[in-house]
Amino acid sequence: MCLHSEAVNPSDGALVRKVLDGDTDAYGVLVTRYRTEFARYATGLCGDADSAADAMQEAFIRAYRSLGSCREPEKFKAWFFRILTNQCHNVRDRRKAHAPLEVVSTEAAEQADDRAIQNDLRRAIRTALKDLTKEQREAFVLKHIEGYTYGEIARLLDEGVDALKMRVYRARDVVKRRLEELL
Amino acid sequence: MNRGSGFSEDTHAYFDGDRPDAAERDRHAADQFAQATAAFVQGEAVPGREVDRAVMAVIRAERRQSAWRWFIQPQVFRLRPVLAAAAIFVAAVGISMFGGGSAADPDGAGNALTTVLVRFELRAPGASAVALAGSFNSWDDEAVPLVRGSAEDLWTVTVPLTPGEHQYLFVIDGEEWIPDPHAHAQVDDGFGQRNSVIIVAPRGVVRS
Repeated sequence: MCLHSEAVNPSDGALVRKVLDGDTDAYGVLVTRYRTEFARYATGLCGDADSAADAMQEAFIRAYRSLGSCREPEKFKAWFFRILTNQCHNVRDRRKAHAPLEVVSTEAAEQADDRAIQNDLRRAIRTALKDLTKEQREAFVLKHIEGYTYGEIARLLDEGVDALKMRVYRARDVVKRRLEELL
Repeated sequence: MNRGSGFSEDTHAYFDGDRPDAAERDRHAADQFAQATAAFVQGEAVPGREVDRAVMAVIRAERRQSAWRWFIQPQVFRLRPVLAAAAIFVAAVGISMFGGGSAADPDGAGNALTTVLVRFELRAPGASAVALAGSFNSWDDEAVPLVRGSAEDLWTVTVPLTPGEHQYLFVIDGEEWIPDPHAHAQVDDGFGQRNSVIIVAPRGVVRS
C-alpha cells in the first residue's frame, strides 16, 4: 500500500520538508540515499575516491545550507546532482592545481597478475577521462560507468537526448583512442 | 524512420553502440573499452559511509551553533496585521501600566553570519580515529570526526566556519591532542601547549 511504502521509504520531497521543519536526521536519509547512488559518478568525475569523498561531503553540506532554495523538493535528486557535479569539478580543479591526480594505490597494483590487469584497466580509464571536457565527462560517466539510460541522463542534466548521444559518442571515441595508446 | 528527433534509427543505433563498427580495429577498441569500463565499475574504490558520518557530524554541530545564534541575532517574524496590532496594543498597555523604560532598537542591518567551508587534513599514521576540536565547537573532541582517505594515513574533514579567527587541535584516538603541523600560525593556549590558528576570509574555501 502506498502509505506503508512512504513510511518505509519516504520520498525526497517528504524528507526535504522534514529537514526544513528541523528534523536533522531526515537529512541523513537523503545523504545515504544519494551518496550511495552518486559515489561512483563522483569518483569518475573527480578522478579518485578521496577527491570524490571531499566533493560529496562539501556538496551535501552546501545543499543542506541552501535547502530552503530547493523550490521543488520532489526534484531534490536533480537539484543536488547539479551541486555535486559543480563541486566535483571544483575539487578536481583544486587538486590539479595542488598535486597530480595519479596518486591512487599504485603501490598495490602489482600484487597479483589478475589484479594488476584490472588495475591497469582502471588506471587507463582514469587517464582517458582526463582527456574529456567537463561536459563530456559528466555524460560519459553517467552512461558508461553508471549505466543510466539517455532519458535518465537527459532529466538529470536537463538537456536533449540527441545532444547527449552526440556528446557521449564523442567522449567514447576519445576514450577508445586513448585506451588503445595506453593498453 | 526516427524517434521524433533529427536522427535516423540507424544513427541512434550507432551512437548507442548497438551497431558494431565496421573495421576489426574498431571491434578491438570496443572490446578494450568494455573491459576497461567494467573493471572501473567493479573495482574502483568509492566513497563510503564515512562520508555520511562526517556530513551529519558537521550538520549537527552547525545546527547546535545556529540554535544559539537564533537568540542573539535579529529575527524576522511573519505576523498577521490584526495580530500585530493586538500585540502592539497589549505592549502599549503594559508599558503604560508598569512604566517600562525604552528598549534598544536593533539596527536591522543584515549581519547574519555567513559560513565558509574549510577543509582540514592531517597525516596520522597508525591512528584509528581522528577528530577536530576547536573554538568553533567548544573544543568538543567528538563533534567533528575526520574521514580516513584511501591513502591510509590521510584524514580529512570539511567544516563550515564563520569568517574570523579560530583556534583548533586534532584529537588522535580520543586521547592525544596535537596542533596542525601545516597551520599558518600557532599560539600559546595559556597552559603550556600550542593551539593552531586559522583565519577564515569571508569568501572562498580556506585550508588549514
